[in-house]
Amino acid sequence: MRCTGRIETRQVEELYINIDPIQAGGRLTSDAMKAIIAYGDGYSVCDHCRKPFRLDFIKTPPVDQFHRELATFLNMDIARVVPGARRGFQAIAGAYVGRGDPVLLTALSHYTEFLAVEAVGGMPLEIAKSTSGHITADAAADKIEEVKSVYGRNPSLLFIDHFDYQFGNEHEVKGVAKVAHQYDIPVLYNGAYSVGILPVDGKELGVDFVVGSGHKSMASPAPSGVLATTSERANEVLRTTASRGDVTGRTFGIKEVEMMGCTLMGVTLMGMMASFPTVRDRVKRWSRELEMGEIVVQALRSIEGTRILSEYPRKHTLTRVDTRESFDIIAQKHKKKGYFLSSALKDRGIVGLIPGATKVWKFNTYGLSERQVQHLADAFVEIAEENGLAVSR
Amino acid sequence: MVNLVSQRAVDSLFHAFFALTDIRAILRSTAPAHELNESEQERVRVLLEEMGRQLGVLKEELLR
Repeated sequence: MRCTGRIETRQVEELYINIDPIQAGGRLTSDAMKAIIAYGDGYSVCDHCRKPFRLDFIKTPPVDQFHRELATFLNMDIARVVPGARRGFQAIAGAYVGRGDPVLLTALSHYTEFLAVEAVGGMPLEIAKSTSGHITADAAADKIEEVKSVYGRNPSLLFIDHFDYQFGNEHEVKGVAKVAHQYDIPVLYNGAYSVGILPVDGKELGVDFVVGSGHKSMASPAPSGVLATTSERANEVLRTTASRGDVTGRTFGIKEVEMMGCTLMGVTLMGMMASFPTVRDRVKRWSRELEMGEIVVQALRSIEGTRILSEYPRKHTLTRVDTRESFDIIAQKHKKKGYFLSSALKDRGIVGLIPGATKVWKFNTYGLSERQVQHLADAFVEIAEENGLAVSR
Repeated sequence: MVNLVSQRAVDSLFHAFFALTDIRAILRSTAPAHELNESEQERVRVLLEEMGRQLGVLKEELLR
């Protein structure tokens, strides 16, 4: 079935259980879908934009109120919507990183953090992960000292992911922030896998910036996200333009330079806003999400040769699993080769596993109902048993 | 001055879209088997009735 022309109608979420690790938290609420129907036109939120002509001042729809609520939600002072977490990284890097500046990231940082630093000519340097796959305050302190000794100055910014995209492991954000502040290094908290699915308190964590992803974890269309900061840092990262046209003498009001003026002007913002009441509420049910994830993790662990590579017990619904000694052994002899697993899952109404993956792969159970989680857990066990793998029940 | 006689039709159009969207959400939460429990079936019944009402209004307004 086609939407129109050459565009196939996407029915993945209606027909299947989708365990794609990056898609789970961004699935839209029905409220967001409704807002999208009404606000699909390009500049649809701008109908009632009046002086001073900036997105966060718009009262109808209540964009101004949404900005205040976002800041409160994250326990920060000021928030802005951005076209994806990556654009939040870019804005902050633009404000703090100069050419040749060392900047601390981690061995588990997302590539967009590297690009944000690279874009402004900074030098990305990684804090090593521990043998358990964690970024610790001690490792951050060691790296800062190393940077000082090699480059003769402190890093100009430090990025720390609360939960990384590779393992879904939780890292020592509070400890890392405390160490960084001892060296006067501003701290950017990457909440792409936390903001919108579990409670996040920026002040409690002691970070200068909280960046979240709308399409990854706030049930919003892409590209969308949030950048929140303290009132102390707001004047730096949210500085307003001082430009003046040398021929025309034009000035540009209070547009914010690092935001490139207004950011989300239509369907992305309205999707975020419409989902927000649900998002604000759902973070309170994080422990239930972990319980649901555990059902699937236990099912996988019951299959002989299968190892959970993420920290265990799990603190996130995104999990990395090693099936080289289980499903991959089957793949070597199966007529469908490595595709047998994704194919067997699809036969059971489950998608999201990279076709062909039988060695090391990730899945995410966030947002699935209990029925769906049980179906998923049963599917893994059934596929294992059908292919002669031992299962300890 | 333009007489906005079609406001009722436009409202109905969106009401119908929104009812369908709620049905879409039920399809998502019950995938892949779509075996609806009693309360889900009742919800779909209500939404379909709402759809029917809104389509009736659209016929009244646009096919006069």
